[in-house]
Amino acid sequence: MRVVLRKAVFYLLTAWAAISINFLIPRITPGDPADNLIQQFHGKLTASAIKALRVLFGQPHESLWQQYLDYWHQVLTGNFGLSFAYFPSKVSTVLVGTLPWTFVLITVCTVIAFVVGTLLGTLAGWKRGTWLDSLVPVTTFFSSIPYFWFALLMVVIFANILRWFPIGSGYSVDETIGWNWGFIGSAAYYAVLPAVTIIVASIGGWLLGMRNMMVTTLSEDYVRLAEAKGLSRRRVMVTYAARNAILPSFAGFAMSIGFVVGGSIVTEIVFNYPGIGVVLFHAAQAADYPLMSAIFLVITFMVLVANLLADIAYAFLDPRTRES
Amino acid sequence: MAMSTATVVEAEAGGESVRGSRFAWLRSLRSPLTIVGIALTAFFVIFAIIGPFVAPYDPSQVSTATDATPSWGHWFGTTHVGQDVLSQMLYGTQVSILVGFGSGVIATVLSVIVGLVAGYARGIVDDVLSLLANVFLVLPILPLTVILAALLPKSGSLGIILVISITSWAWGARILRAQTLSLRRRDFVEAARATGERPGTIIFRDIFPNQIAVIAASFLSTVTVALLTQASLAFLGLTDVTEWSWGTILYWAQNNSASLNNEWWWFVPPGLAIALLGTGLSLVNFGIDEFINPRLRQAGIGTKASQRARIRSRRLAVSGGRGARVERPAAAAYTQASTDVILDIRNLNVDYLGDGTVTPAVSDVSFTLRRGEVLGIAGESGSGKSTLAYAITRLHKPPAEISSGQMLYTNADGSVTDILALTPEELRKFRWEELSIVFQSAMHALNPVLRIGAQIDDAIKAHRPEMSGPARAARVVELLGLVGIQSDRVDAYPHELSGGMRQRAMIAVGLALDPEVIVMDEPTTALDVVIQRQIVEKIMELKDKLGFSVIFITHDLSLLIELSDTIAVMYGGKIVEYAAADDFYRHAQHPYSRGLLSSFPTLNGPKRELTGITGAPPDLRKLPTGCSFNPRCPVAFDKCTEVVPPLFTIPLATGGTAEAACLLYEDGAPVPGISNGAHDSLDSREPVKEAS
Repeated sequence: MRVVLRKAVFYLLTAWAAISINFLIPRITPGDPADNLIQQFHGKLTASAIKALRVLFGQPHESLWQQYLDYWHQVLTGNFGLSFAYFPSKVSTVLVGTLPWTFVLITVCTVIAFVVGTLLGTLAGWKRGTWLDSLVPVTTFFSSIPYFWFALLMVVIFANILRWFPIGSGYSVDETIGWNWGFIGSAAYYAVLPAVTIIVASIGGWLLGMRNMMVTTLSEDYVRLAEAKGLSRRRVMVTYAARNAILPSFAGFAMSIGFVVGGSIVTEIVFNYPGIGVVLFHAAQAADYPLMSAIFLVITFMVLVANLLADIAYAFLDPRTRES
Repeated sequence: MAMSTATVVEAEAGGESVRGSRFAWLRSLRSPLTIVGIALTAFFVIFAIIGPFVAPYDPSQVSTATDATPSWGHWFGTTHVGQDVLSQMLYGTQVSILVGFGSGVIATVLSVIVGLVAGYARGIVDDVLSLLANVFLVLPILPLTVILAALLPKSGSLGIILVISITSWAWGARILRAQTLSLRRRDFVEAARATGERPGTIIFRDIFPNQIAVIAASFLSTVTVALLTQASLAFLGLTDVTEWSWGTILYWAQNNSASLNNEWWWFVPPGLAIALLGTGLSLVNFGIDEFINPRLRQAGIGTKASQRARIRSRRLAVSGGRGARVERPAAAAYTQASTDVILDIRNLNVDYLGDGTVTPAVSDVSFTLRRGEVLGIAGESGSGKSTLAYAITRLHKPPAEISSGQMLYTNADGSVTDILALTPEELRKFRWEELSIVFQSAMHALNPVLRIGAQIDDAIKAHRPEMSGPARAARVVELLGLVGIQSDRVDAYPHELSGGMRQRAMIAVGLALDPEVIVMDEPTTALDVVIQRQIVEKIMELKDKLGFSVIFITHDLSLLIELSDTIAVMYGGKIVEYAAADDFYRHAQHPYSRGLLSSFPTLNGPKRELTGITGAPPDLRKLPTGCSFNPRCPVAFDKCTEVVPPLFTIPLATGGTAEAACLLYEDGAPVPGISNGAHDSLDSREPVKEAS
């Protein structure tokens, strides 16, 4: 129970920190972002839009504390103001239209990369000293590849030269978005290249981590005892070695998922995939702070939820954390 | 929320990671992969320095040769405005490396400060700093750097370095904190604190130098992260796009549709460079990891192909395989005169194979174990007794190898099994059915994520596949009952049991298939005296009830004398004395045994001075010439440094015999004044030679 409470406090604190960082960044950087934006869209903004902008990015005539309270009010009501890159759409509208694409893509890719990487890592660790050791330098190379560069290669080879897969959209224009097979099939087809890119680039991290933990775990006494007891190799490998070796993968989920999300966002840009990455790119190019900070909050929130799930899974996998 | 390395650091820091020279880790950089890594890294660092001087063109110079494929004039081709890609790469290397290593340095300094202070200070400072690090660890770095970079418009390299540094210090800080926490408890740090050293001095003189390897690893991973982050930011146009870096080249390539136009020469080199440098850095890190976590170097149990081949080639004619299972005769009480040998170990040699070196851990060990007998094997740490325990059960791991010898097991039906000739599958069936082992530390030998009941059940299931689930469950409860664990603890996890309970559970695991022989490797060492007593009594009670034979290994000679029928004393990998426990207690023959006996008090004997043995156990890699005990032996004479004494058989007054490997008995008769009792002689004798 205490563990759950501590975790809850941690997540609330992290969420608070993310929101506060978002509040502070435009206020501590030189210049006045709000003023710049208002100047830039001079005449196009309504009085209420200007007010919202000031609340988000700095009200020179208010106390910092009052600004902070106003800011929280905005955030909690989901009012992130207008987007400039997608003027005159509201930030929330832009997010609602793009977030599902990114969410599904990253979730599916992370699950596949984690499962396949962990399985391969288990085997590579178990068969240490065989040809599988050559997976180490190979996967090290793959995990050092920048996602977006690998995406460029995929575009050239599979979209331009071989013309096997389409890019530039999330689904075929002939389909209508909805729960129909035509759309789902088309969306899956368009997602193949981005998905393969993300999976290939992120699988190495899981694989290497799992392999090293397997090798470490294999020298534990309980693995030796399991072998001595005459258990099948499969049971020794899965229930005794892998079952313990996988725990750090869950514990280290936070950092890994941060990288995957970062890489995936840039990958989307290369494929012009209609997710949040392209939006972030446009926002950054147009200095669209409202949109950028909202994206940062949303992504942080997604990462926090993913971590929470990993924590819950960890509690199920490791009986030692369940009590005390 | 630790990741693999941190967990390992936390686990290993207690032991081997800081052993030896502080710069010993540099030696671990000799593996081929690490050398490749160093070469790759050096390659790029060199080009970062000389790049601008060897570049054939000005990287921004526009020319008429637009979109040219690679040629002699332009090795890497040209861009859409005719700029030379090779020159851009050569100039770009400098900025990419500068940002990567610059961020690495700043972020590492931050993590060292936070990690060391948090780990050393503990308390509220630690809580706050750890929380800060954990929060930064969870925050997604890329969107955060995008915002920061966008708000510092067109920042130069310095701005990017700062942005990357403040978003990527948390991971290193976490690892270093864990490492500091464990170092803090070490003797040398405790000692420094006790003598009133200032915390700053302790941190920087005693703790920091011991973490160089961890810091180096954390630095190299930060450099990799920084390289990738800088490339991403540059690719998104968030850095100064007129300053050439690998990311900037990709930015221009992307903005001019290089990928759509199949201009691979334009965008392949920068990405490949990032990937290769990243690989180089990671490979170096692998070398450091193997140093920090020595287990990564050890071969796992998957690497037994060579061993198997060796064993196959040695299969002996004696083997009739394991006989069909027979009902065992009711346990006959063991007597000294018994000739019912169940386990016969002959001339067993176990070596540790190193880089071209062979270290004998068990040398020419022979003994027999009779049905119902308790054979106690005593020895100091490093005497080879645990290696022997593993070798008997064939559980030894590389680099340990049985180089020669024979281990014969007599089945209940009288047939003989050559244990060393068993195939892996035969061995799997034989072990636990006939011969089981109880490990030293129940804490480490029980699977932490599996219930106690399941860990007994799976052994039964593996050997008796025909047994039904309920029957196995009943057997598990019965076994736990035998060792004195209540049936409601079947579903308990190891961490929910006390130390004594865990050791009982271990014994229950060992008894699961009602084996004939149980090897017990220091089964009570980690327990307090009261629990130790209970466990030993339980073992003896079970032995009488179930009639198995025991090889009991410990350094605790007093315990051994009490529970054993026969005692073997090991020194320097050899058995130096072998005698019935009573005879041993009254008339220990070997000077080493006498030394051991005089190092603990008797309960009802006369008061005497406890002398023990001076000096330290020998290093198996450099055993003294002749008798390996000679440097510590109070009665050694010249010949002892020349001749390795074999076991001499000594007739005893009781009518039995003892064996001792000591030249004093070369003539076959006990030397007067030596064998007249353990408790009077050595203390009063004039030491012939002072131990070194």
